[in-house]
Amino acid sequence: MMNKSTENNKRQNFLEEGFKDDVFKHHNKYLGTQIPEGYFAKSKSSILNKINEDIKIKKTKKQLVFWMRPQFKYMAAASLVFILCLTVWLQSSNKTDVLEETNFELFVFSDTILIESLLVDESEIDAFTDATLFNEILVKAEISEQKLDNLVLDSLILEDSLLNYYIDYGLIETLVL
Amino acid sequence: MDKDEALIEKLKNATLKDTAFSELLDTYQERLYWHIRKIVSTHENADDVLQNTFIRIYKNIQKFEAKSSLHTWMYRIAYNESMRFLENNNKKRYKDIDTISDSHLEVLFEDEYFDGDEIQKKLTNIIARFTEKQRRVFQMKYFDDLSFRKISEILEVSESTLKSTYYTTVKIIEEKIFL
Repeated sequence: MMNKSTENNKRQNFLEEGFKDDVFKHHNKYLGTQIPEGYFAKSKSSILNKINEDIKIKKTKKQLVFWMRPQFKYMAAASLVFILCLTVWLQSSNKTDVLEETNFELFVFSDTILIESLLVDESEIDAFTDATLFNEILVKAEISEQKLDNLVLDSLILEDSLLNYYIDYGLIETLVL
Repeated sequence: MDKDEALIEKLKNATLKDTAFSELLDTYQERLYWHIRKIVSTHENADDVLQNTFIRIYKNIQKFEAKSSLHTWMYRIAYNESMRFLENNNKKRYKDIDTISDSHLEVLFEDEYFDGDEIQKKLTNIIARFTEKQRRVFQMKYFDDLSFRKISEILEVSESTLKSTYYTTVKIIEEKIFL
């Protein structure tokens, strides 16, 4: 230690010696820094191992996400869009059928009224209008009542199935709670 | 073709890359270690940063365009990695990097791989109290023996500014160390 200090005290040499080939001695001499024995060999193998691990992980990741490549993603997205379009189209086509049926019914109804109206005398037209409107209201009311009945029946069927479910899984418990 | 150019060519060749990288480690590992060690102070930190530096070099070697020498390019990566390390792991301690606190020196002196005598501690103390710029310039020039042109490429500062900074630091050290 003393020798080292004495050596460093030679002012003329200090900072004028320049860089020595042995970089460790150079640092140790002026900064007192040490390194563990055989550090660079160990560090080299550690760095190479880490790089190899990184490469392995990358390869594994690549294999795992093979199906997630862009071309597969585009295909999947296109398929989804197609299915969505198909669903929307099917739903809208069903609605058109219903509308067409309703319109047809209305047309038949209208034609009958029109034909009958031709045969009605002018003096009786007010009474005919009242009667027709009354009939129309009655028919529509009847139709809507039928629809309501259907709905009630459908809901009853559904409730029955739910009832079975509750009976199967502890109806008594449900009632008590 | 010089040694570095041949090495770069091999590093960019997929089949020769691993052998060339091993060669690169043999040539530059120790120099980069000391460059990093002077910035991050302790051996443990330097070891971490050195590993990250070489992994970054391995990953980015294909992007190396030879605008500067391989040596300079690697030094810059090591420098940036070290600065990133300081920012990420020692935000409190190195909050104001230009005024390194006494606690930083304590950490350095308590490192099991620091074995400095009084003069060495004194020198370390003086260097630690330089501004960030002065410290890097002095260390790169004096300890790493880099030319002013190379330091200028690494730190992106003009050569004339570097020369002036370096001689100022030398003067400060000479004045303070023998007080």
